[in-house]
Amino acid sequence: MKGYDAVVSNRWVRLGAFLVVLVVLAVLPLVADPFTNQTISHIAVFAVAILGLNIVMGFTGQVSLGHSFFVGIGAYAAIIPIRDWWGGPLAEGAIVIGFVLSGLIPGVLGLLIALVTVRLRGLALAMVTIALPTIGLPLAQKFSDFTGGNEGISIRRLDYVGADGQVHKGNPFAAGPGLENDQWQYYIVIAIALAFFALAYFLVRGKYGRAFAIVRSNEAIASSMGVSPYRYKVLAFTIAAVYGGIAGFLLIVWGQFTSSETLAFHHSIDLVIASIVGGAGSIVGAVLGGVFYVTVSQIMNGLQLSIYTTLVQGVVIILILFLLPGGLASLPRTIRRLVRRGAAGHSVEAGHAADSASGNTKTQVQPSEERNT
Amino acid sequence: MKTTLSGRRAIAVAASVGAIALVLAGCARGGGDVAPTGEDTSAAVEPSPGITDTTLTFGISTPLTGATAGPGNCTVDGALAYFGTKNAEGGITFGDGKTRKIEIKSYDDEYNPEKSAANFNQMVADGVFAAGLGLGTPTNRAWREAAIEADVPQVLVMTGDPIFSDRTESPVQLGLVPIYQQEGAAFGEALVANGQPHKVAALYQNDDYGKGYLQGFKDAVAGNPNIEIVKELSYEPGPASSTPNYLEPQVTELAGTGADVFFQAVSVTPRVVENLAKAAAIGWTPIWFLPSNTASPGGVLTPAGVTETTYPGIYAVGFSEAAAAPPFAESEAGKAYFAAIAEYAQGPEQDGKAFPHCVWSWIGAQILEQAFEKMTEPTRDSFLDALYSIKGFDAQFAFGSIDTTVDGLPAIQTVSLQKFNGKGYTNVDVVG
Repeated sequence: MKGYDAVVSNRWVRLGAFLVVLVVLAVLPLVADPFTNQTISHIAVFAVAILGLNIVMGFTGQVSLGHSFFVGIGAYAAIIPIRDWWGGPLAEGAIVIGFVLSGLIPGVLGLLIALVTVRLRGLALAMVTIALPTIGLPLAQKFSDFTGGNEGISIRRLDYVGADGQVHKGNPFAAGPGLENDQWQYYIVIAIALAFFALAYFLVRGKYGRAFAIVRSNEAIASSMGVSPYRYKVLAFTIAAVYGGIAGFLLIVWGQFTSSETLAFHHSIDLVIASIVGGAGSIVGAVLGGVFYVTVSQIMNGLQLSIYTTLVQGVVIILILFLLPGGLASLPRTIRRLVRRGAAGHSVEAGHAADSASGNTKTQVQPSEERNT
Repeated sequence: MKTTLSGRRAIAVAASVGAIALVLAGCARGGGDVAPTGEDTSAAVEPSPGITDTTLTFGISTPLTGATAGPGNCTVDGALAYFGTKNAEGGITFGDGKTRKIEIKSYDDEYNPEKSAANFNQMVADGVFAAGLGLGTPTNRAWREAAIEADVPQVLVMTGDPIFSDRTESPVQLGLVPIYQQEGAAFGEALVANGQPHKVAALYQNDDYGKGYLQGFKDAVAGNPNIEIVKELSYEPGPASSTPNYLEPQVTELAGTGADVFFQAVSVTPRVVENLAKAAAIGWTPIWFLPSNTASPGGVLTPAGVTETTYPGIYAVGFSEAAAAPPFAESEAGKAYFAAIAEYAQGPEQDGKAFPHCVWSWIGAQILEQAFEKMTEPTRDSFLDALYSIKGFDAQFAFGSIDTTVDGLPAIQTVSLQKFNGKGYTNVDVVG
């Protein structure tokens, strides 16, 4: 195992692996069939949403059951400017405005809501966050002239005036020459998702990550160390809201459609489940959560067994909770620990025993434990 | 020394990455884009995806799990039962002379538009010839424009949303069930027909559903001096399971108008039950109108404690025979229907009569069969031409004949006003 550890912790190997992933992500859409590209984009959309949830739940330890509210608001903030302004003088500028608003509006809402609600803890906080989608969905339906209500807004065939002076129908996310739509949309989604994953990576590894972790494990200690739990909880909520909103924008890039249904409370639960399955305290866990969310349904559809989808998801969740409480992201760590324990049984090595002991005290997780991310 | 070592490693990393990139780029995309060879000059038409000389694949994206799973499974099971029977008889003879078996592929969307959009991508990848029959307004809307772009027929969808039957807006679509406006209009026309003066109070869900019903009613009674709409109240819809408000305050307020007709376009079953009980309790006994999806005798009227004599009349609109009614099960067609459901349905504990959508799907399957028999080329264009030209077709279990030739109307156009008779409904022409 020593050799394995040495290879994995070698920074050249890590850098190489990272570059390989980047290159594969860059070249794959040129080779793969449209459905593969659409599926990877779909996963990336939800990976960003789940990443936001991980920051507030996994890293900071605050329950949020209203994440779909921010995804839905972000989707509206993205699609409404594009619906109203694309094809006009603003042209592609409408997409930029949609992108900025999709982060800004959920961020401001998240900040305002968090300023009031994070004074609550545990179940009380969970109850308040449930209220967000519960209020948001009827509101979106009430203002259906603006939001499209239950019927939703689709921007795949928007009217615009062409060079010939005639009105045409066009897709704001249609590809230019040389690329297919699925490839173009893939690149937009992946580029934005990677940027936000990089931001989150540096956020949780630095000062803020340490502050989040100490707030999560013990607020009294955090206060005594000069870390304001209130301030960092508000910050985590706001960041999560921004990530939710950006996921809303990516949802529009991917599908060019949203409706009030996107806000629905049960989608929040879907996201929480995906977060737990992937690994709430981990960045890679967000990707795995997205994979779980998207591919289980697709595989069950492919097998023509989709009436059992929820059953399979339930079994996976129970297995994860029993066998991998840290989610799928903790699988390599768990395997390593089991192997070491086996080795320790034959020849007791002080260092390894200490390692596995510290690995078992999961409640005191420090951000550094997420090195595998 | 160290820099040299690092440098060498960096080169190794870069080299391997580059190699992988080359390998990936080597297998360039688009093997299928090869231009057809000039050999087959005789076969003029290239078949669309999803159709061979012996099979045709039809996709259904609908809720198979979640709160709407009951009706959703029915939208698949009716078609599975119908085509299962036909396939067992050898298949369907198409307009081009070939006999094909119909393969149904079902995709669960959980009543989630984002999932139904993903399902459409998957259906395209799976090579379905056409898709449809699924229920839900937002879920069908989510891939409507994608279907137009990809030129994949999205037909006989089960939503009262009129956009799917608008040929300009939706060139590859067609609705199956009557639009909301048709139901509201059927009641309005029958009310006008009795010639008496009426004061109408209306309560509607503030969305496309409630407003559609009310608009249809208003258009039908417009300009008639006998009918006066004295008050309209609305409520905000919520998720089907948890519409937040009791509607009893609205019922009480409307009772105060002294109206003798209560037009109620409420889609949430528990609220309708409460309203039916409330009005009687406060001594308001108007003539009721109920939408077709909240008018079930067993699911709504009996739980509300309503009998034939509670109100002067409870009216609803139907467009198909009810599988739960005894005459249905005794008819030859009904027996065949239940036998096929028992044999081919995949939904859990599917009895074919708990939700009307099973029968609707069976009707949709017959309409598809008509189109298949008429289509002269194995292409989607030919299929759509055939589908849009069905007229005077008497489908099993549908009231009136099927007509797909009218722009703006779905395939099932004949709606019939029905009056509650204490056990079920009987068709009537006039209110009163």
